[in-house]
Amino acid sequence: MNSPLLILLLLIPAAGALIGALLPIAAARSWALLISVATLLVGIVIACEFQYGFSGFQFTFDNPHLALPFGSSFSLGIDSIALWLVLLTVLLMPLSIAASWEVIKDRPREYYSWMLLLQAAMLGVFVTRDILVFYIFFELTLVPMFFIIGIWGGPERRGAAGKFFLFTFTGSVFTLAAAIYLGYHAGTFDIAAIVDYARSSLTDSERFWVLLALLAGFSVKVPLFPVHTWLPLAHTEAPTAGSVILAGVLLKLGTYGLLRLALPIGILTANSVAFPHVIHFLGWLCVIGVIYGALVAWVQQDVKKLVAYSSVSHLGFCVLGMIALNTYGIEGSVLYMINHGLSTGALFLVIGMIYDRYHTRDIKQLSGLARRMPILAFFFVLFTLASIGLPGLNGFVSEFLTILGAFTSQYLGIGFGTFAALGIILGAVYMLHMVACIIFGPLKTPDLHGHGEVPGDIGKREIAILVPLALAVVLLGVYPSGVLRSMNDAVTRIEQPIAQLQQFNGGAQHRGLIPAAELALKP
Amino acid sequence: MNDLLRAMFPEIVLCAVACVLLLMGVSMKAATRRAAPVLAILALLVAGASQLSMIGGSAPRLDLRWNSVRIYEFARYVKLLSSAIGVLLVLLAWPSNSDATGGPAHHFGTEAAEFFGLMLLSIAGIFLVAGANDIMLLFLGIELASIPTYIMVSISAPRAIAQEAGVKYFFLGAMAAALMLFGFSYLFGTTGTTRLDLIAQRINPITGLTSWQLLAVVLLIVGFAFKMAVVPLHFYAGDVYQGAATPVTAFLSFVPKISGFVALLKVLFAVTAGTWHIAPQIVKLLWVLAVLTMSVGNVLGLVQVNIKRLFAYSSIAHSGYMLVGVTALISTTNYEVQSTALQGILFYLTAYGLMNVAAFGVLILLPGRLNQPFTSAETFDDIAGAGREHTLLGLAMAVSCFSLIGIPLTIGFFGKFFLILPAWKANLTWLVVILVINAAVSAGYYLRIVGSMFLSTETPGPRFRQQPASDKPVHHPMPVLVSVGISMAAVLWFGIVFPATSRLVTRAATAAHIEPAVNSPVAAVSQR
Repeated sequence: MNSPLLILLLLIPAAGALIGALLPIAAARSWALLISVATLLVGIVIACEFQYGFSGFQFTFDNPHLALPFGSSFSLGIDSIALWLVLLTVLLMPLSIAASWEVIKDRPREYYSWMLLLQAAMLGVFVTRDILVFYIFFELTLVPMFFIIGIWGGPERRGAAGKFFLFTFTGSVFTLAAAIYLGYHAGTFDIAAIVDYARSSLTDSERFWVLLALLAGFSVKVPLFPVHTWLPLAHTEAPTAGSVILAGVLLKLGTYGLLRLALPIGILTANSVAFPHVIHFLGWLCVIGVIYGALVAWVQQDVKKLVAYSSVSHLGFCVLGMIALNTYGIEGSVLYMINHGLSTGALFLVIGMIYDRYHTRDIKQLSGLARRMPILAFFFVLFTLASIGLPGLNGFVSEFLTILGAFTSQYLGIGFGTFAALGIILGAVYMLHMVACIIFGPLKTPDLHGHGEVPGDIGKREIAILVPLALAVVLLGVYPSGVLRSMNDAVTRIEQPIAQLQQFNGGAQHRGLIPAAELALKP
Repeated sequence: MNDLLRAMFPEIVLCAVACVLLLMGVSMKAATRRAAPVLAILALLVAGASQLSMIGGSAPRLDLRWNSVRIYEFARYVKLLSSAIGVLLVLLAWPSNSDATGGPAHHFGTEAAEFFGLMLLSIAGIFLVAGANDIMLLFLGIELASIPTYIMVSISAPRAIAQEAGVKYFFLGAMAAALMLFGFSYLFGTTGTTRLDLIAQRINPITGLTSWQLLAVVLLIVGFAFKMAVVPLHFYAGDVYQGAATPVTAFLSFVPKISGFVALLKVLFAVTAGTWHIAPQIVKLLWVLAVLTMSVGNVLGLVQVNIKRLFAYSSIAHSGYMLVGVTALISTTNYEVQSTALQGILFYLTAYGLMNVAAFGVLILLPGRLNQPFTSAETFDDIAGAGREHTLLGLAMAVSCFSLIGIPLTIGFFGKFFLILPAWKANLTWLVVILVINAAVSAGYYLRIVGSMFLSTETPGPRFRQQPASDKPVHHPMPVLVSVGISMAAVLWFGIVFPATSRLVTRAATAAHIEPAVNSPVAAVSQR
């Protein structure tokens, strides 16, 4: 019954990080690329072997020897939601390492080891079935990222690294307290058992405080509106690959935690939805985040900061869809996680390529790059459009579904949907503003003071980095139903109580129960 | 007589070797000074091994005749732990310069043998506290653990600041001892016996403690609070930790603390007749002390510029965490919860000892400033960029700091885990909340250490490197490295390898009864 694949998925990068730290400096980057590609291959094998129709956990791994007292054990397993996030992680990591290829000259061994360790930690969060192990991996992502931002980052790196660490750590210690509380009362740390316990046995006040504690950890990581302030700084100061991973995967740990723990434990009870006012409150936070993030992004001078604030805005959509608590919303939200990882990760990569050439990200100093770098311009525009949500590219489907979810939700409703839709317009405004300024218009580049030749267009390595992302963006744009259908069962399992509730109420329309995949297939 | 000898074998070994060491101190030869730490380590290993042989075997070692010593699993655990950490602490203070008069961060001149003799006496004090069944012996143990440290602080370095620290520590320690003795006198006066097991029997189980006995317990808590560096008796910590040479600071952060905690647990056990059920005022008192200690320690830790001083406040904060465990222990009547709490405290003591040795070990190896001889790196400027220069040392410091914060995959994480668990079980919601907030606050200053070592690019100030090579004292810091290596390996091993963590916790769980309940058959045997 035990499948070795998930253990391999964790062990390869972890062992690779340790071995890589001992190899000669010249071999560090090739080794890291090798390891990350090997992890990607394991990911592909998992994707091929995965039984898409089956709703439970697959590739389960349990080992009684790896157990702690008090019912915690090192148990692994993925369902289709986790599968897609695992695939996102294993895809982004080789690309990030390739993007660091020429850039990281200072202490490359340490850098690549931290990257691989970070990958192991992130994958660990997605593949575990135990809440304590979940927390262990969740916290563990902080350490490599702290060093990656703090050592290889921009001029403000120290403050950025500290702020990143302290914000997320402060939030998540409450999550730890809640996890121990749940684990103690449920007698086990198995997430499924804890969810069952929480649904059947928690009193309202217990559930409320547990929910708050879980939200404290995950909303900082996502980040939701008032606790987002670490994100722009960390994104801006991190090296390119760090920003890619931060935006692409680390933020998804927060949304994944919300989906996997906070919603089933705190919100969905045995036969009803607890705390509609908390959902409302969260909804407002998301909507404020969407609009505020967009407005702040609009006025940024630093392109990287602009994209960072766009993440605040986009993650608002993602959480809004999730708390709509219907199939459209939740499926859209999971799809949003993947899409945001792809398109924002790609945008950070492209911006990193511009920065490597001109050593500036100032929107005022750059203009008309399309004239000098047409290939880069093509990718930049493509990913921007994907990020805006142009139909035919990936962002559209997920944005549409999350807003549809918000509109049709029993718990949110038209007001939230309207404001979120306003956010889409604003998103188009600031993204197109950025493209118009940097890519089009008269050619303007910063004075190189006579150093070196005029930088050329992106080379083969950089094209090779961007092409897989571009393919994924287009593929998910024209055929999202594959992903949506695969996770239908997993999503239904999460929102099961609501389905029961609606059936109980004789909900004739079964609003929210039409699989989103069907919707996506409609013309 | 035989029983007594058998029961007190480790203490006898330690004290005998300590006496030999004190005699050896007469010699002025460097060879004697080099032999002294070896002898000390051997003594500690023998003392530890004598406990090891009993582990698992359930036979307690009791002094049947006078009932002054009763050694059960709890005492064994404490003795094993303190002899193991004791070995690491001796390694930190190794006389590593060419004429064996000091190390990179301390200088005891020709008094090396005395220094290690005092160390052994101090550790023998913990052994006595752990096994004592008599308040006189308990008091003696606590003082035996403390008095050598006053001398060690003063002889650790020929600096005025060390002398000042030693004197300050001595006077405040004497006051604490007086309060403690005052408390013991009330305990004796109201029960008419000095034996802890008889005190337990003579406390009225229905009415609980009389007001005189309550006063005694409060006075004792105050006295122990000084040893544990618990707010509001923490004022000495900053000055003493900063003034003492770094190896002695490491010693101070562990030995008095564990003796204080063990004594507190034993006294609470006795005055509650093993039920841990005590007057609500005492529970409230400990609750308040825990909150104050955690919060004051961590908040003051944030504003320190001297790293040794910072570790003093960190040490205060960690006492606060352990007091959460003590509060959980006495605020519940559920036996299972009580065992979890005791187990958590024992586990945390282990974790704390290991991470502290590693942190101080790294500090010892980092050179201090030129104008301050006989001291290690003291300020954030001193360690700026050190992690870039010495990657492994930097990593060791980073791991111990992350462990002190409580980041997973280190022993510190499980330490916090096993303290939060009993606190939840005892329904101490607010205490858990305050504990986790404090963990987050503490991340602020521990990260500053990691940050200075790895992230800052300031060129280090006028430090050892700029000294002409000929002036540099030659050190062979291998023993310190070994100590750091061992503690680091343990911190990671018990954090990463879950089965090992499980075993350590299970071991702590078997030790999680100070003694069998007072009226159990085993206890009856001892009273024949």
